[in-house]
Amino acid sequence: MKSDITLSIVGSGGDGAVAAGDIISMACAGTGLHVIKTEAYGPQIRGGESSSTVRISAAPLTSQADSIDALVVFNWADFARFADEMNLADDCVVFYESKDAPPDGFAGKLIPVDFAETPKSKNIVAVGILTALFGLPVEGIRAGIRHRFSKKTAAVIDTNLQAFDRGLALGAETPSHKLSFKPSAPRLLMSGNEASALGALHAGCSFFAGYPITPSSEILHFLSEWLPKIGGTCLQTEDELAAIGAVVGASFAGSKAMTATSGPGLSLMAEMLGLSSIAEIPSVIVNVQRGGPSTGIPTKSEQSDLLHALFASHGDTPRVVLAPCDVEDAFHTTVDAFNIAEEYQIPAIVLSDQLIGQRRETIDAASLEHEVRRRRLPAPSDDAEYRRYADTEDGVSPMSVPGMAGGIYQTNGLEHDVTGRPSAMYAVHERMNGKRTRKMKAIAEEYRLFRRFGSVEPELGILCWGSSTGSVHEAIEIMNAAGRNVAAFVPRILAPLPIEELQDFVDSCPRILVIELSHSAQFYQYLRSQIDLPRTKTLVHARSGGKSLSVSEIMQMATLEEVTA
Amino acid sequence: MTCEVPFTTNDYKTDLKPVWCPGCGDFGVLNSVYRALADLQCAPQDTVLVSGIGCSSRLPGYVETYGINSLHGRALPIATGVKLAAPRLNVIAVGGDGDGIAIGGNHFVHAARRNVDLAYIMMDNEIYGLTKGQAGPTTPEGDKTKSTLYGNPDPAVDPCGMAIALGASWVARGFSGDVKGMTELMKKAIRHHGFAFLNIISPCVTWRGDDQHKELRAKVQQLPAGHDVTSREAALRFTAESEHLTVGVLYEVKRATLVDHFAEVQRKARGNKSVPTREDVLAVFRPPV
Repeated sequence: MKSDITLSIVGSGGDGAVAAGDIISMACAGTGLHVIKTEAYGPQIRGGESSSTVRISAAPLTSQADSIDALVVFNWADFARFADEMNLADDCVVFYESKDAPPDGFAGKLIPVDFAETPKSKNIVAVGILTALFGLPVEGIRAGIRHRFSKKTAAVIDTNLQAFDRGLALGAETPSHKLSFKPSAPRLLMSGNEASALGALHAGCSFFAGYPITPSSEILHFLSEWLPKIGGTCLQTEDELAAIGAVVGASFAGSKAMTATSGPGLSLMAEMLGLSSIAEIPSVIVNVQRGGPSTGIPTKSEQSDLLHALFASHGDTPRVVLAPCDVEDAFHTTVDAFNIAEEYQIPAIVLSDQLIGQRRETIDAASLEHEVRRRRLPAPSDDAEYRRYADTEDGVSPMSVPGMAGGIYQTNGLEHDVTGRPSAMYAVHERMNGKRTRKMKAIAEEYRLFRRFGSVEPELGILCWGSSTGSVHEAIEIMNAAGRNVAAFVPRILAPLPIEELQDFVDSCPRILVIELSHSAQFYQYLRSQIDLPRTKTLVHARSGGKSLSVSEIMQMATLEEVTA
Repeated sequence: MTCEVPFTTNDYKTDLKPVWCPGCGDFGVLNSVYRALADLQCAPQDTVLVSGIGCSSRLPGYVETYGINSLHGRALPIATGVKLAAPRLNVIAVGGDGDGIAIGGNHFVHAARRNVDLAYIMMDNEIYGLTKGQAGPTTPEGDKTKSTLYGNPDPAVDPCGMAIALGASWVARGFSGDVKGMTELMKKAIRHHGFAFLNIISPCVTWRGDDQHKELRAKVQQLPAGHDVTSREAALRFTAESEHLTVGVLYEVKRATLVDHFAEVQRKARGNKSVPTREDVLAVFRPPV
């Protein structure tokens, strides 16, 4: 019996590998199991290779697995495209199309299956095999199959249910790898991009503008369906310049507004970050990172937009950057981004990535609660002499919206005085830079967002951010169970950083390991500029994205003694 | 909104002094803006002027309504966001030829074809004035400017012809020396249901010389009686003239606006159901039973 298994299905477009993974994931979520599902695709628009990998566990999961326990291969040529990224467990069972001979020297327990007998439902045969092998919830999967084909004819549903039964019989012939679990209340299954979109709706977003870009487009898709239902607007613009422009316009007019993009889009949005910051018009940008620079690797995750998100725009440009650690956190950081943007009249970037954005994960509906804040509007008493950019203690000035007779003002991207009048004077520039920057101090006081886990008195402290958190969490649990004392500090807000807590953590650790998927070690560079992080006790593991961070990789780094920073 | 005391042109003036050069055509445009807003009794708090960057884009700072003097080329996306977020507002985008056709050209294309419900006033001076005299997209081919010392290699864009081709539902041309005529065109542009493009020839006395104004004034003529405003072909006969500068409403058709479209989208999305609850949205993520 196992408590944690991972299965993977590899095929070409039309084989239904992804659909098979979806059906299994949904059924397991319905039985209260914990699931993390990832997909990988070749670059082709249609018909290319695809793989669907599902990790299923009775206990909560924080990351995708390092190795695969069962693999279905419809076509070995497709498998070859993913082979580098797929680590098969020593006892991995491989079910393959019997008409396609395995490559020479392929090690593993190979079981030929005549998938070609039912070409249109071979993925459902595979679902049956894996269900029997792992003892997955049979009735839940039957319900999933009926749901999947609910718009098809009864004959199609019957054919697929029969294919499932055939798979069950085939799988029963293989020695069992049964998953041990007790059914419990169903969980939700959603992607990080969907969680961000849901966070936007929860926060009261009524306007979204975006331009399609991988791997963020699911946010546009979700909101284009749901915003109109609640009386909101979802606009697809001609480019990212226009997307963030429309967001700033809608926000000026009083709506909570958001856009979503990926690296190339964020590059274009840099100019409007500056306007949003100097004119103090709230804006929210969800940036789902992919491999860069330029077009880079659109379908794979990386953490290399960090410095761009932190510093994009000419001039001194305060902005807030938040980073979710997992799918559920994509919901919370998006709500926080709205809360901060609205209350402090500042651009807020949610720095998600492909691994969080496009993986689907089980979460509890009850966890999707979060306080919602609002913009500070002028009080009626402000009307007599309304000053849009009044220099207040925390830097936040009440913001009127069109329609308010006493709140009329003209804003601009020029430096301006407290009334909004353009000014080229040094004294005004210095004062207003100070006012805008002061907001960051107030945000830093109020939003100390971080996760700290692992040993209380660590021998080794790991610093990481974003989607690396899941693998680091699992690695620390394994290491500490084996007698190590490792801890991690993960800032969920990167600008402004929770400096005090971060510094305390660094000071409390004899050795520090920085982990990130950026070849130029952007996170490490940033930390060095923000806190006292001695080179003499710091080891940096910074590599390109394109392959997710594995638990074993982290554990290996954590055993190294020498310092390389 | 009803007002007991009507708004006068003075109600629309801010105390900011324009940065424009003496004799600039944009003063005339600003006067027309004051008059048009007063004639239409547009409540200042319900009116938003949005501009990009350039001499003419300074205009919102001089008008006592809500206003944004934004980024170079980005007036139209911002104005689109304002209008969609609050359709009851009067939204007017203003700017120059470089702002709207060069750096902001892509947004002009899409605002026109979407028929965004706003008035777009382009002050066209055939030059980059704020940066002190470089060729712009409407500078005539062959002209010597600070950036084209041996002659401008590019043919000039025809803004009105472009707007008509792109699907703008209302296109007109005015001349900044004719405040009365311009005011009437602005009022029509503001009242038009859809994307109203008003190209105002607004000479730059500093970088195009005193003669430009005189030459243009001599070329101005009204549209001939009987002009069919619904005909693209008829309108296009007047857009790229060299002998004359024909002013008036060149083209006008009725079609659904972007605001109409989104109202329809909301109706379709909702169907006959009530506003979805949190539970309705979460149901998407619940496993089937």
